[in-house]
Amino acid sequence: MKTKSIAASFLSAAMLLGMTACSGGGANSASDTAPAAGNSQAVSSSAAKDAAEKLTVWAWDDTFNVKAANEAKAAYAKIDPNVKVDVVSMAQNDIVAKLNTAFESGNVDGMPNIVLIEDYRIKNYLKSYPGVLSDLSDVTTPDKFMDYKLKTMTQDGKIYGVPFDSGVSCVFYRTDLIEKAGFKQSDMQNLTWDKYIEIGKAVKAKTGKAMISVDPSDLGLIRMMMQSAGKWYVNSDGKADIANNAALKEAVTIYKKMQQEGITITASGWDAGVAAVNESKVATSVNGCWYASSIKKAADQSGKWAIAEFPKMSNVSGSVNSSNLGGASWYVIDKVAGRDTAKDFLSKTFASDTGLLDSLCKDISLVSTYKDASSGKNVNAPDAFFNNQKIYKNWIDWTVNIPAVNYGTSTYDVESKMTEAVQSILKGASIDDTLKNAQTEVEGIVSAAD
Amino acid sequence: MNSEQSIAAKQITSDFRTVGGPHGSSRHTLEKKLNRWGWGFVSMSIVLISVFVFFPMIAALIMSFQTGKGVNMHFGGLTNYIRLFHDQTVAKALGNTFIYLIFQVPIMLILALIISVILNDKNLKGRTFFRVAIFLPCITSLVSYSLIMKNIFSNDGIFNQLLSHIGLSPILWTTDSFWAKVLIILSITWRWTGYNMIFYLSGLQGIEPSIYEAAEIDGANSFQKMIHMTVPLLKPIILFTTITSTIGTLQLFDEVQNITKGGPANGTVTISQYIYNLCFKYTPNFGYASAVAFIVVVLIVFLSLIQMKIGGKENQ
Repeated sequence: MKTKSIAASFLSAAMLLGMTACSGGGANSASDTAPAAGNSQAVSSSAAKDAAEKLTVWAWDDTFNVKAANEAKAAYAKIDPNVKVDVVSMAQNDIVAKLNTAFESGNVDGMPNIVLIEDYRIKNYLKSYPGVLSDLSDVTTPDKFMDYKLKTMTQDGKIYGVPFDSGVSCVFYRTDLIEKAGFKQSDMQNLTWDKYIEIGKAVKAKTGKAMISVDPSDLGLIRMMMQSAGKWYVNSDGKADIANNAALKEAVTIYKKMQQEGITITASGWDAGVAAVNESKVATSVNGCWYASSIKKAADQSGKWAIAEFPKMSNVSGSVNSSNLGGASWYVIDKVAGRDTAKDFLSKTFASDTGLLDSLCKDISLVSTYKDASSGKNVNAPDAFFNNQKIYKNWIDWTVNIPAVNYGTSTYDVESKMTEAVQSILKGASIDDTLKNAQTEVEGIVSAAD
Repeated sequence: MNSEQSIAAKQITSDFRTVGGPHGSSRHTLEKKLNRWGWGFVSMSIVLISVFVFFPMIAALIMSFQTGKGVNMHFGGLTNYIRLFHDQTVAKALGNTFIYLIFQVPIMLILALIISVILNDKNLKGRTFFRVAIFLPCITSLVSYSLIMKNIFSNDGIFNQLLSHIGLSPILWTTDSFWAKVLIILSITWRWTGYNMIFYLSGLQGIEPSIYEAAEIDGANSFQKMIHMTVPLLKPIILFTTITSTIGTLQLFDEVQNITKGGPANGTVTISQYIYNLCFKYTPNFGYASAVAFIVVVLIVFLSLIQMKIGGKENQ
């Protein structure tokens, strides 16, 4: 009887393992197929010349990256009409999951030639899967691109990507609401977070609107604050930097203060955040410049918006009025047939074509990290939605000052831990103790990556 | 069951024995031949279960002792398991899973039992309609119903608009970790009550109505009938549904992934979702993910043993 019940328990356990074991089994084959993949590399590079006529590009966001890839495709068609370029639109999460599985198994069948990867994630791919992405040092000329961006994709002195959009942070604000609260646009210049909160309190009191919406599962604000002081969850050597990170501590303190002062509303997920802005529930949004396209969705708010520099933290030395959120770059998967064509595509479009980058500025509000793009016609044009402010020019000027940081390999793992820590701090736990505990956990994550 | 089978098998062999009685050698070959066929049939499933279940299990066990990321995996001893015990997200995920388990499973099963007893009443008009209506959530896709729940209960969704219409303040279903858990429990209960109800209904069909009549004559009220008759008679089915629901809860993934994404700040994350995140959302770490998976194995074996001990004895 007893053995039977134990056997039954194991069977039910086996039912469960059905799920977990699948991922395990798939992953395990990595070591088995790794040498085979090495062989196929040799095969595919010899086949590269025959199959070079077709390129596949993966990107996310139809209104932004995918549109950019399509314009690049049109531009390249004039240079080499024989190459057929296929731009595939996919959610970023799906691209990440597919890359993870393909790189882990060493089997790149069905993978694209060119893929867009977020800057926060690229270090991991370069470190965990050496040789999977092509060395693009001969495509990307270092002195043509912004420094902070290049740093994310450089490994052992080689550049592995073509930098794309800047994620320069700024304060998007509603001029009408700020004025109702008794402040002028000049008050929004050279902001500090103290001043920002002060304005927020006035906005709340006079208009009843919140100053900003926050998402408990997304610490973008805190990340931006840290980077404005040249700090990150990890230090320049990639080691966990939580407990003694003054910039992080101050950022969390400011984050908590904003909630205590009642100038925030919570929104869960991306869509809810955009809705809060579009439905006039908040007076500002502190975000990367790419957020402009979401703000512009509310056509009735045209002319009421303006942008200001990212607020700095007055209590942290080295904090500047400039930071970054997100941003991505183009990469070539080395083992997929057609590598050389893919490199040629990138070098003649995103890595050099100022005309293309300038028209993208108009079409998708691209803030390029290509230095020569700053002299373009559209870059220097005013934007009617933003009350004829020269927003692109502003963004490019601010991009130059973004402090470069090492994002490390595990931004999103660490972020997930930090959301827990921040929530317990908001509920009253001591900042020092909580960050100290978080330090131990983040060390566990980061050391597993080495 | 085993003993019955072996009796049947003996019967067959003895039949053959009498047939082949005088010719000893042919009896032997026939038995061998039958054995060969038997093994032939069994081998298919043995191979399949080995390749698709046992091999991955062992591979995952080996991998749970490896550290590193990507193609740089190497043997790391107990590193993953040590990290496991310091990982607060594992603790949080286990805690959440147990909260779902402790609240959701009993609520759902009691509800299913009550509904099935009501719908088993032959005098109830339109009971087929109600049965179908309550079972219907079960055939909806997990993802689509989760998205609908998310929509209804979002901070400015239909439910909160209703609340503000009747003058109550809205509930932050998705951004408050307490209410987010309530929402998950609510959703799973809606989806799975009908499924369990079907088991109870079929069990109730097997109960002889005359014993209820006898009880009524003895003056038992409906509550007494339920507690002292229906529940004990349905015990094997209740045990079965408890075990499957427990396993289901431990594997909970789709709802949480689609309704709250595990948020706010891992407030609703489950253990399966954490394993998924470790593999596909974060920087992939399959070694550590396998180690976390084995904690679940241990848990399920343990929980199933307890449930068998409590509920199963007399039925074996």
